[in-house]
Amino acid sequence: MKKIKIAFKPWMGFVLFGIALALIPLLAEYTTFVKSSTIITIGGTVIFAIAALGLNILLGYSGLISLGTAGFMGLAAYLSAYMTVDLGLPFEVSLIVAVLVPTLIGVLVGLISLKIEGMYLAIATLAVSEILRKTFEEFEFITNGFSGKSARFPQLLGFIQLDRASTYYLIVVVLVIAMLLTYNMMNGQVGRAFNAMRGSESAASAMGVYSLKYRLIAFALATILASLAGVMYVHFIRFAYPSTWNLKLSLDFLAMIVIGGLRSIYGTVLGAFIVFAIPDLFLKQIPFFNQLSYVLNGVLIIEVIMFYPSGLINIGFDIKRLWLKLRKGIHDAGK
Amino acid sequence: MMLENNELLKIEALSIQFGGLKAVDQLSFTIHEKEIFGLIGPNGAGKTTVFNCITQFYKPNHGNIYFRNIKDEVINLVDLKVHQVIRQGVVRTFQNVELIRELSILDNVLIGAHIDYKTGVISQALRLPKAVKEEAIYKAKAEEILKKLGIYERKDMLVFGQPYGILKKVELARTFMSDPKLVILDEPAAGLNDVETLQLAKTIRQIRDDFNCSVLLVEHDMRLVMDVCDTICAINFGKFLAQGTAKDIQKNPLVQEAYLGKEEHDE
Ligand SMILES: Nc1ncnc2c1ncn2[C@@H]1O[C@H](COP(=O)(O)OP(=O)(O)O)[C@@H](O)[C@H]1O
Ligand SMILES: [Mg+2]
Repeated sequence: MKKIKIAFKPWMGFVLFGIALALIPLLAEYTTFVKSSTIITIGGTVIFAIAALGLNILLGYSGLISLGTAGFMGLAAYLSAYMTVDLGLPFEVSLIVAVLVPTLIGVLVGLISLKIEGMYLAIATLAVSEILRKTFEEFEFITNGFSGKSARFPQLLGFIQLDRASTYYLIVVVLVIAMLLTYNMMNGQVGRAFNAMRGSESAASAMGVYSLKYRLIAFALATILASLAGVMYVHFIRFAYPSTWNLKLSLDFLAMIVIGGLRSIYGTVLGAFIVFAIPDLFLKQIPFFNQLSYVLNGVLIIEVIMFYPSGLINIGFDIKRLWLKLRKGIHDAGK
Repeated sequence: MMLENNELLKIEALSIQFGGLKAVDQLSFTIHEKEIFGLIGPNGAGKTTVFNCITQFYKPNHGNIYFRNIKDEVINLVDLKVHQVIRQGVVRTFQNVELIRELSILDNVLIGAHIDYKTGVISQALRLPKAVKEEAIYKAKAEEILKKLGIYERKDMLVFGQPYGILKKVELARTFMSDPKLVILDEPAAGLNDVETLQLAKTIRQIRDDFNCSVLLVEHDMRLVMDVCDTICAINFGKFLAQGTAKDIQKNPLVQEAYLGKEEHDE
């Protein structure tokens, strides 16, 4: 049953998607209705998508909840800012340390997840996140407390100084790589093990999936992506306040993956745009909505859970199905 | 040596208690290599519980479960954790099918090869040649098994929404991915019609020959048990009643009273 295969591989899709994302700021420059601040919003969205992708690995694939994404992201942001600005370390070194430290803590949370599940795991991760946020407020010599910590655009290899636009491209590259690697992992043995853990614990253990190991891997992957996002954030926005890394941000990540689609890689990015970019770009202008963006998220989540439990990313399929049905109806009626 | 030459699994004085209830009580039986062994008994007799004890989903209160593993060593399964059992060559299905609904049939079957993968997360993430090759090998193996069970055409469909008979087959296919020495089937014919049950009997025998393994099965459907099993062990209230060939068991008055008799009255 060998069909002629179209040589289109999944990685090409991710690359094309990345190129499209990279073009957005250019479009912004040549159209009048989008302001130059757009690139900050879009860049922020792409950064959030990276962290949300990690949460999707954790919740979507592995069925483990976390409300700690914001805390880990913030920790990485401060670490990288501190190491590049105060210690004068190269960007690459800061990046590695700023990803490793939160990931170690994330793995410890993974250990906790063996003992507590569901609601209680959500609360435990929230507690970790809140402790981190309090730490950001208190450890002023690293975080500069409430005044906020500033950082610079990344300098690659010690001599390539990036500006806003090139940092944006770097962020898009990181997202595309994250999407590609996530896709590869989730469509192989590791991803199936995650799915088994979520879908049937009995089947997973009978088939030899060692749940401790895979829980730790899931938490590690989620924290790596959250930390990468944190590092990108602080070197793109160039500022971090303790209040940024609060429960609302963690809930936003949850909203992104639920609205975009659990276990959907493109859906995660779509979710990030719906939850973050659209309100920021369009709805903020309307004063009423500015106050109510969180209500909008809540309503969207409920709508999606009720009507699109597999996420808005699947709306395309349904429109296509509806169209085919309609066409068939017209066809049948014609006969 | 705890096991004689051609003995594969020996259950010795197995007991497990839930609260005051003795679900399995001093039960002993032995399964030989390449044997199709049936465990029968009325509802609530403790059959599933025996399976759960063998596969370490439950830790028995007493008793030993000796098993000649794939390395030909004799081990006591009781010493293992649940996820380690499959590595010894024991794999099972579940009375209430345990599959991952959101995955395709092929992916569900591939989970059965989980322990055989040698490449790690990083090789898989980077799609290194060895990871790609490994995945292709197990995919081919899974497709082969699906063909044998006659559900190859459905391999890319989601498990969600498949008819019950197909789900039972997918679970069966999954067990064979790990090249087991002992396959444990909990009511494999439940929910199947007569034609499917007959076909299943054939499949189980064919599979024993193809994969060179022993089969331990629990079944309510007496026709299947009588038809396919070399040896049958009957239990009631967690206790041993009788053991023998299908004919012996059918003639046994204890079994008739506990199980067959009752069934006839029901009909
Ligand atoms: N986890 C458990 N907790 C309490 N009682 C159990 C548990 N598992 C099984 N039992 C009891 O043990 C007895 C045997 O059950 P089971 O092994 O499922 O029977 P069978 O598979 O032969 O129909 C039943 O009375 C059942 O209620
Ligand atoms: Mg049972």
